[in-house]
Amino acid sequence: MLADKPKVAVLGAGLLGRMLTVSLMDDFQVSLFDKDDGDAKQSAGYLAAAMLAPLGESADSSLEIMRLGQKALTMWPDFLAKLDTPVYFQQAGSLVIAFEQDMAALNQFQSRLKGDDYHSVNSSEIQKLEPELMQRFQAGLYLPNEAQLDNRQLLNAMAIQIRKFDVAWHSNSHIRVDDGVYVNDKPLTGFDWIIDCRGLGLQQDIDLSKTHFRGVRGEVVRVHAPDVTLNRPVRLMHPRYPIYIAPKENHHFVIGATQLESEDTRKPTVRSALELLSACFSVHSGFAEAEILSMDSGLRPAYLDNHPKIHQNDNRIIVNGLFRHGYLLAPVLVEECVKLVKKATKNDVVESRSDLLPGLVTSMNPYQSSSVNLS
Amino acid sequence: MTKLMLLGQFKVDKVKDTVSIYGTEINSRLLVGSALYPSPQIMQEAIKASAAEVVTLSISRQNPLQNGGQNFWNIIQSLGVNLLPNTAGCHSVKDAVNMAKMSREIFQTDWVKLELVGDDYNLQPDPIDLVKATEILLNDGFKVLPYCTDDLVIARHLVELGCEVLMPWGSPIGTGKGLLNPYALQAIRDRFPDITLIVDSGIGLPSHAVQAMEMGVDAILLNTAIAHSNQPQQMAEAFKKSIEAGRTAYLAGPMTEQKSAQPSTPTIDSPFWHNHG
Repeated sequence: MLADKPKVAVLGAGLLGRMLTVSLMDDFQVSLFDKDDGDAKQSAGYLAAAMLAPLGESADSSLEIMRLGQKALTMWPDFLAKLDTPVYFQQAGSLVIAFEQDMAALNQFQSRLKGDDYHSVNSSEIQKLEPELMQRFQAGLYLPNEAQLDNRQLLNAMAIQIRKFDVAWHSNSHIRVDDGVYVNDKPLTGFDWIIDCRGLGLQQDIDLSKTHFRGVRGEVVRVHAPDVTLNRPVRLMHPRYPIYIAPKENHHFVIGATQLESEDTRKPTVRSALELLSACFSVHSGFAEAEILSMDSGLRPAYLDNHPKIHQNDNRIIVNGLFRHGYLLAPVLVEECVKLVKKATKNDVVESRSDLLPGLVTSMNPYQSSSVNLS
Repeated sequence: MTKLMLLGQFKVDKVKDTVSIYGTEINSRLLVGSALYPSPQIMQEAIKASAAEVVTLSISRQNPLQNGGQNFWNIIQSLGVNLLPNTAGCHSVKDAVNMAKMSREIFQTDWVKLELVGDDYNLQPDPIDLVKATEILLNDGFKVLPYCTDDLVIARHLVELGCEVLMPWGSPIGTGKGLLNPYALQAIRDRFPDITLIVDSGIGLPSHAVQAMEMGVDAILLNTAIAHSNQPQQMAEAFKKSIEAGRTAYLAGPMTEQKSAQPSTPTIDSPFWHNHG
């Protein structure tokens, strides 16, 4: 039976790699390759706050990204239902607030929202939604449909699911793509499809003159605050960028994230840590005695337009460039990839799917060398 | 082309109306920033639409020691513009001087937009440390473009040190409030007619830019007004046009404001029923 199934190699075991593996492993014989040791700690998706906030994010991204995010949001419950291990998923909206002196930033944010599924809230409505917030917030916005999930639970639940199945998971694998695909310097052969979702790991193999591709630094703090209860993610306006406080289960909170046009790989800076920590302390004094569990930095993979892309060239597919929208968009991108490998024969020319996002799927080959058919 | 033809009608003796930055002649009187755009692609499109030839960029939070922003800098450099590194985020003379030196090394330019934060919340420049840092940098061969308030005396200190360009604010960074004190800016313009005067920060609308240009300011530097508009590319074009309009109006020599209405056609031979007493 197994030998009859087409063989797929998935490069990268981050969010996309795991979701693809879970989605394909019923019908395909999947092998998963990654440079880390299986815990996803080098993955951008490990650090993210996993906000599913298509409307909130639309203030600084395109209408298409908002629509993709709205579609993906409806797909998450089905995907999570496939997993045997429960994953925290919450759809209780999000609250956007600002200090009096940052009201202009809130107005600006509101004017840039690309949908109208929100309403303005006054101080008593804010108190009703979030009784523990400091009473100094006079005005805000409530976006009732926004959601979030626990990214680390999800990554772990997918790992459990994959390990139950007949998937060959090759950890600690060094991957290189030039004329062919090499794993620990040995050519990878015998696969019907090779799907590359290595995130920023793609950068070493990409031809930057064909496609611009960069890392965008983000810094995130995780705290355990037994004295704090928030019912939903809270976004605090800041003169330079919005800071969100995302409550996870058991009084764990993710506070993030900076967004810096830099590929700096150092740990978080003092300035960023101060900004993030003072933001959470200023909305709820209960954060004062919270335990700082971690402060991390990572790089978000992004193309020039900050839009995700799927490149199909022969039997190779690259999915990448999810920028700050990994969890927001992943289900849609995974579905598109699954469609490609299930429907298309390898020689099909892929048309750009303008109904979702112009240029989302193209037949361009962004690698430094032209690909060779490996099957 | 349109601009040159228009100018030709008003100022026949001057073929090219350029602005000088320490001897480098720049055609566009709009200088732009590179922050806060939704994506680098939109930034590129907006900069192209603005026709700006000078783009300022801040490197302080990019870990410049290890060229953390290289990939982003490449995007700006690919536009073929003059880079104007700035010292945004520096709070002391020492920090600003170090940042300027680092920028010179990275970008091979002796231009620096000197910015010294005196107040963290509204990013108001510290005029005293600004003068100190300017002196150090000018002596080190830098071409300093100081971001200053509209204080005439500070401006004089900077000019006496050797600054050929002054960049007073219209209003604090990112506020978009326009020219809070046109009188003060006019005073600087009138007292230093040969200095290149660039209004930097606070411009929110094309009408603010027109107002400044009509006063005889040489150029405008702005970022947020374009980057935070809903259609940056379109807004860049609007600013380009408004700055051209303001400049042309300045060169044309505006009429003088009058206290009361003065009919533009003679009334002496008008029929009596056209007069309302």
